Amino acid sequence: MNCGEGIDTRQVDELFINLDPIQAGGRLTTDAMKAVLAYGDGYSVCDNCVKPFRLDHISKPPLADFHRDLADFLQMDVARLVPGARRGFQAVAGALVSPGDPVLLTAYSHYTEFLSVEQSRGIPFEIPADELHIITPDAAAARIEEVIRTTGKTPSLMFVEQVDYQYGNLHPVAKIAKVAHQYDIPVLCNGAYTVGIMEVNGKELGADFLTGSGHKSMAAPAPSGVLATTDEWADKVFRTTGIKGDLTGRTFGIKEVEMMGCTLMGVTSVGMMASFPHVKKRVKEFDRQLQHVNTIVDALLSIDGTKIQSEYPRKHTLTRMNTIDSFDKVAKTHKKRGFFLTSALRERGITGILAGSTRVWKFNSYGVSKEQADHVARSFIEIAEAEGLTITG
Amino acid sequence: MLQGKYMSKRSVDAVFQGLYLLTDIRGILRDTVPDHRLSPGQKKDAEKILGKLEKQVAILKEELLA
Repeated sequence: MNCGEGIDTRQVDELFINLDPIQAGGRLTTDAMKAVLAYGDGYSVCDNCVKPFRLDHISKPPLADFHRDLADFLQMDVARLVPGARRGFQAVAGALVSPGDPVLLTAYSHYTEFLSVEQSRGIPFEIPADELHIITPDAAAARIEEVIRTTGKTPSLMFVEQVDYQYGNLHPVAKIAKVAHQYDIPVLCNGAYTVGIMEVNGKELGADFLTGSGHKSMAAPAPSGVLATTDEWADKVFRTTGIKGDLTGRTFGIKEVEMMGCTLMGVTSVGMMASFPHVKKRVKEFDRQLQHVNTIVDALLSIDGTKIQSEYPRKHTLTRMNTIDSFDKVAKTHKKRGFFLTSALRERGITGILAGSTRVWKFNSYGVSKEQADHVARSFIEIAEAEGLTITG
Repeated sequence: MLQGKYMSKRSVDAVFQGLYLLTDIRGILRDTVPDHRLSPGQKKDAEKILGKLEKQVAILKEELLA
């Protein structure tokens, strides 16, 4: 069935339990799907845009209130919608980083954090992780000292992930930010895997900037996200235009430079807003999601040779497994080679793990029910047993 | 029923209401993957939704085909 010439109707989430590491938290709520139907047209939120002609001032649909609610939700002072967390990184780096500035990132920083530094012509310095794959305040302090000593400059910005994309580990952002602030380094906390998934309090984290991803963790269409900041930094990162056309004399009202004016002018902002009441509720139920992921991990760990590379017990649903000594051994002689695992999972109505992966792979069980978690757990064990692997425990 | 000179607001409302009701069914399908085995509560919800959907289809027939 097509939804346009040559475009298949996507039915992944209607047919399968989807464990895709980046898709789980962005699955739309029913209300967001309805919003997509009603607001799919291009500039659909602009029907009632009046002076001063800016997205965060539109009251119908209630985007102005939504912006305020988002800031409150994150315990920050000001929030703006952005086309993905990456555009938040770009805005902050654009406002704070000058050419030649050292900028701190971590061993687990997303590539778009690097690109934002590159675009601003900053110089990246990574804070290493420890043997447990955690970024520690001590490592941050050591790297700051080293950067100051070797470059003679204090970094103009530090990026730190609350939960990283490689291991799904929860990093001690509050303690890291405290260290950074001792050197007057502003901190951008990347909450792409946390904002909308678990409760996030920007003030408690000590974040000067906090980014979230709508399409990754707030049940919203892509590209969407949020950039929140404090009153201290708002004027800098959300500075309004002062430019004037030299021939026409045109000026551009109160458009924000780093935002490139209005950001999410249609289905993305309304989809995000439609999911927001559900998102506010679901972050309070994150413990249940942790129970479900730990059910799945425990089942996997009962398969001899299987290891977990993420911290354990899990503090987040994004999880990295190592099955080199279990499923990968099967793959060496299986007629489907490495595809046997994802193929067997698919037969059981489970998808989202990178096809062909039997060595090191990730899954994200966010959003599954207890019944679905039990089904996934049982499926891994059944597949292992069918392939002659030993189950213990 | 015509609204103003040109609009059939009633049929447009019925289209959106119908789409929303189908979306509620889509939500149930998503919630119950992979076997789509509905609980008694979900069956009751689905029955209500489908009943309402039939009404919207009837409105559309009345508005557009009569």
